Amino acid sequence: MSTTRSRAQANGLRQWYVVLSSQASHYFRTSRFLGLLGFVVLIASVTLAFEFKVGVAAERAIQLGRVSEYLSNFLSLTPLWIILAAAFFAGDALSTDFSSGTGYYMLVLPVRRATLLAGRYASAALATLAIVVAYFAFAIFGASCFFGPDVIPWSKLGTAFGLSVVFALASLSVAFCISAFVRSPAAGVLTSVLALYVGFATVQSTVELANYEPWWSLLYGGNAMAAVLDTDFVHETSTPLGSGQYTSLWMAGRAEGTVIMLVYLAIFFAFTLYLYGRKEASG
Amino acid sequence: MPSIEAAHLTKSFHGGPPSLDNVSFRYDGARAVGYLGPNGAGKSTTLKLFVGLLVPTRGQALLNGRETDENRKEALWDVGAIIETPEPYPTQTVEEALTTVARLRGLSDEGVKAEVARLHDELRLPHRNRRCGTLSKGQRQRVVLAAALVGDPSVLLLDEPTSGLDPAERILVRRLLVRLKKDHLILMVSHLVADVAEVCDDLIFLDRGRMVLQETLANVSAKLPAREFEVVFLRPVVPPAVSALGAGVEAVEPVSDRRFRITFDGAEASQARILEACQRLGPVGQFAPAYPALETAYLEVLRAAARPAG
Repeated sequence: MSTTRSRAQANGLRQWYVVLSSQASHYFRTSRFLGLLGFVVLIASVTLAFEFKVGVAAERAIQLGRVSEYLSNFLSLTPLWIILAAAFFAGDALSTDFSSGTGYYMLVLPVRRATLLAGRYASAALATLAIVVAYFAFAIFGASCFFGPDVIPWSKLGTAFGLSVVFALASLSVAFCISAFVRSPAAGVLTSVLALYVGFATVQSTVELANYEPWWSLLYGGNAMAAVLDTDFVHETSTPLGSGQYTSLWMAGRAEGTVIMLVYLAIFFAFTLYLYGRKEASG
Repeated sequence: MPSIEAAHLTKSFHGGPPSLDNVSFRYDGARAVGYLGPNGAGKSTTLKLFVGLLVPTRGQALLNGRETDENRKEALWDVGAIIETPEPYPTQTVEEALTTVARLRGLSDEGVKAEVARLHDELRLPHRNRRCGTLSKGQRQRVVLAAALVGDPSVLLLDEPTSGLDPAERILVRRLLVRLKKDHLILMVSHLVADVAEVCDDLIFLDRGRMVLQETLANVSAKLPAREFEVVFLRPVVPPAVSALGAGVEAVEPVSDRRFRITFDGAEASQARILEACQRLGPVGQFAPAYPALETAYLEVLRAAARPAG
């Protein structure tokens, strides 16, 4: 017999770290992580190859001050990658517990569900940020090639990366909440993509057409990351439609975008904690 | 001392009739308890209530005196469980799957290594670097059992622990459980009555959410004598008529020209009369219960539970 019966209870922080490392090592080996990373690398490579070929960036290189604009354009796809990563890594992270055997492996252990959730959330954030870092690396590489490494606006780029992290955390919060709510893992992933991308984009453009600022939209808040690098940033752009009518487009600034994302992060995380803590394995 | 207690444990889903209805039992100290019943009787529901995968509609589930619903982490601290069909992450190796559990159970780094090595030898687990997703059903089941035993918890809740194992693996696991029950409290659900008969000392029978019997294995066999016997003649004989075998006989079913299955009232006197009557028909080679004792008891309990009250 083993002599481990006198073992000390593991504290929550240590358990959180164990869940994080175990889940992260799982994520980084899954085909969905490798597939998404491969897809992002492919798109970034094709974009750079196109720019080298047609010399779009070379033309911009004449105006060295526009490197920031180049980065803003290149990184405007970041919210899409983050949403896909959030859906892939978090859209089924909790529903799997109640629809497959992995839940029966983990949920019978002496670990609080809040600890499990926090560990999985952190590991999904790591996987998502690995995708973001890869895409940022391509942007920096492109900017270095076309404009030279000396003119890269590191401070603005750092702020944009920071906002990407906040957007990733907020998107993961929403995807985790969906995952705690739905029963089927596939439905969780699909609903996350639909809600975070198609849903917000559609409703946001409709609202903007009616001349209302979409301050409630996570996608709108997330655009702040590209806006930070945009040297021509304006909060509201109005276009005349004739007959004295105007239509407006809004871009969230750094502060507004951060607040929107943090509110989403807090509300959805709290709601997820509540749902996951009470969910039953009744199947 | 390890303990498990169900106190008026009741569970209904979505306001429907209870899947588990007012079940109460308590066991203290090392022993193995068989939890038996047909599919849908509420066995897995009970185990899920114990580990907090379900919340009781009424009553309490206590492990080592701690209510799971109040504080899962505390209650499950000294408990190992297999519920339904658990699966480690398919991308994890056998070693990683067990190491994760060991660390979550608070073992030190040295303790983790020693524990994984111990279980690897004891359960003859597949190679440590094999990915769990590539294991056979039986190999995965042994890894899952090892995970339940990590840290040597004093209470074990095991739902079909020998499911998916080949005969050699089943014997290995049964022997391990027989050894473990000397200093662990095991609550074991199984449809394999032979496993329960070998491992368990006490039995609880459940039917349609209700506890219909709680007894020791020895008493169950004594209280519920076999009602179906098989008689094997050394030579072919004419099938005996029910009336020819005397009072208490309910049916005679020929299995072959020399083997017959006889259903009777189970009384000792009837059994003696039937044997005598058979011996008059021809030389008897074998006269024994048609099913193993516990299987007979199981059928008897369910038959009695199905009879209308009064």
